[in-house]
Amino acid sequence: MTTQLLTVVVLTCLGYLLLTNVVAMVFILVGAVENAVRRHDSRSADYSTLASSRFTIPVSVIVAAYNEEAVIENTVRSLLDFEYPEFEVIVANDGSSDGTLERMREAFALEPYEVFVRRILQSEEVRGIYRSAAHPNLVVLDKANGGKADAWNAGLNVARYRYVCGVDADTVFDRNALLKVMRFAIQDPARVIGVTSQITTAKNPERMLAAPPGRRPVDSEPLMVYQLLDFLRAFLNNRLAWSRLGFMLCSPGGFQIWRRDVLEEVGGYARSFTCEDIELTFRVHERFLRERRDYHVHCLPDSIGVTEGPDSIAKLIAQRERWQRVINETVVHYRRMWFNPRYRSVGLVGAPFYLLTEVLSPAIELLGIGSLVAAAALGLFEPVAFVAILGAMAFTNAALTACAILFDDLQSRMYRRRDLARMLMLAPFDLVLYRPFIFWARLKGSWRFLRRDKGWYKFDRNVRAA
Amino acid sequence: MLLRIAVSVFAVSFVGWIALSLTVVLGRLWYDARYRNPSVSVSGRRARRLLRRAARPARTDWGSWRRVAALTRLARARHSAAPRLLRRALEDPDPAVSAAAVRGLGALGDEWAIEQLIDALRRGHVSRSRVASQLERLAPLPGAQLLRLLSDDDPTVRFWGATLLAGYPEIGGGSLVALTRDEDPNVRAAAAETLGERPGHGAADALLALLDDPEWFVRVHAARSAGHVVGAAGAPAIAHLLSDTRWWVRTAAKDALRALGREAVPALVRVLGSPDRFARNGAAEVLQDIGVVDQLAVQDPQSQLLARIYAAGGERLREAAELRAATRARAEAA
Repeated sequence: MTTQLLTVVVLTCLGYLLLTNVVAMVFILVGAVENAVRRHDSRSADYSTLASSRFTIPVSVIVAAYNEEAVIENTVRSLLDFEYPEFEVIVANDGSSDGTLERMREAFALEPYEVFVRRILQSEEVRGIYRSAAHPNLVVLDKANGGKADAWNAGLNVARYRYVCGVDADTVFDRNALLKVMRFAIQDPARVIGVTSQITTAKNPERMLAAPPGRRPVDSEPLMVYQLLDFLRAFLNNRLAWSRLGFMLCSPGGFQIWRRDVLEEVGGYARSFTCEDIELTFRVHERFLRERRDYHVHCLPDSIGVTEGPDSIAKLIAQRERWQRVINETVVHYRRMWFNPRYRSVGLVGAPFYLLTEVLSPAIELLGIGSLVAAAALGLFEPVAFVAILGAMAFTNAALTACAILFDDLQSRMYRRRDLARMLMLAPFDLVLYRPFIFWARLKGSWRFLRRDKGWYKFDRNVRAA
Repeated sequence: MLLRIAVSVFAVSFVGWIALSLTVVLGRLWYDARYRNPSVSVSGRRARRLLRRAARPARTDWGSWRRVAALTRLARARHSAAPRLLRRALEDPDPAVSAAAVRGLGALGDEWAIEQLIDALRRGHVSRSRVASQLERLAPLPGAQLLRLLSDDDPTVRFWGATLLAGYPEIGGGSLVALTRDEDPNVRAAAAETLGERPGHGAADALLALLDDPEWFVRVHAARSAGHVVGAAGAPAIAHLLSDTRWWVRTAAKDALRALGREAVPALVRVLGSPDRFARNGAAEVLQDIGVVDQLAVQDPQSQLLARIYAAGGERLREAAELRAATRARAEAA
């Protein structure tokens, strides 16, 4: 009886694995088409006209900063350096207890001013507003701590332009990031309400961005390489396909452009969730589909910035645990969308996909590993079968990763050739060198979700070489 | 059974990984070798292939982008067949192809291309903002040809004509003033914006009249432009907009008064006693931004005017001023 039960469990888990991989391959095929279309679209674009035209829609860039003393100056400088006709940068210092505000005050010659702004969205008290003597398009808000969503809402109240771009304080951007993404929004501002684009990760983002495309170095530590591969897979193997199929359900906090009137209409960023980006994307879809409005939320393949990745396993687990929690919170909160035809592809594919591959997967993976170990102990399978299963999983994973690398290289020709080769060689070992930590983080995140824990557990910034 | 399936999946995925890896590496080597020194000119077999692609209507997305790429290459290379192909592509129902034609015409940039772009702007069968971007980039060549857009029957064409004339301060002043009385509010707003760059031609009176326009976005443009054109004489009328019902109009009024600088002070001081809180706040904010508060705080901290500004702007405006003064004093001492 036990043996039969165990066999059923093992086969069910392997079936789940097969199903998720088949779905992943379908997404890759759809993503390949989207990638090709966007590549051609981007190559024939007239960026120089767009960069100088008065008709290019202005953008308010909002940065939420909490204890970002180590990185804030570089981030703001990279934003001020955008090649774009008209934009403003609004930094919301969310009650930092370190020297974030002092650092900005010195770097950008900030002076306090009283500015009377609209209060469309609720936020914690804004204690002061600073303007830069050196950069007229920089505004800094100093506010009481209320979380990232609260900081973004405070920034939205100050924003003057029709589109707003929310960015993280630990991300630095290409000069033409805004141009590349807004080019897409400008083509159809009536329908395009949200756009994001590919962001990569590195231990030291400034170092990576300092090199020109084609010569961008990839970190030497395998932990950083695996995180980069993870990002490439998330954006190029998944989100491009979601975009094409109409259920782009995660505009990441690192870089997300929204039409401001849409954000105001849906009530801004939600403060009651652990993290705000994925919840906002779900909420926008829910609202527009419920009201049967024509809209588009899109993800582009262009690599536009680099975010700081955790450089230790403990930090990585803290970050991914939080991501798991917020996914669970959001997917469960919007359970009315699951398998609901009223929400079209979002309800029939997107939300169930999240449920299957994100919310339920830690439990299924735990069950699979436990049953496999038990099966081995009971001698149900020969050792060679285990090796074959592990090999199949490792190389299926590696093939999916190689697809993402291929898409990225076709799109951007970003990395050095030797780094491409190194990434490809490391891909099969992802299963043993990286996935166990992610698995543990997801288990931890799911457990904390069940305990209704909503802490942020911010990790320390990486130490940069001088 | 399980073993057979696992071994099969392993073999397929292993071969897949090898194949994809080789594709990445070899593809990159090929790309680096081929595109290290990209050439603009096209000739011979390559030109014939591009001409074929550019002429052929596409049935799929893929075909459409190949056609777009071919049109772009030919236009950049100024190939002799480019004008004919671009003209045809401009009529294409596929928006990607017609947009490529607009870009191509912008790249050609000669008199014929400008004529085609203006015609496209009038007909509106391609995105007018794309066409306008190209015409704006080609300034000053389109010049007088834009004038006829101002009298078009279609208000959208008149709007774009008025907008594009911003790059030509020497022409069309009278027509723009006439357009400030256009029945379409978008046209009035565009005329107001463009007149902001050109004093004279009766622009001042027209802009002052538009400050009372029933449409809020017309008042926004009129406020900004009146600041430039009318100067100090227009400050009282602009300051009146500090109590407008629309936040955007109040913001535009603040911007305009800020740009006027010290010339706006008398008008702003009058608003400090307004019964409207927004107007009082706005006036105090602008007086702060143009340096009046800082100057008074140093030279005459007990002045009545400073007290009135603080009363209108609130405690935080005073605190900010004191902080600035302290910071500057520290910097000077250092």
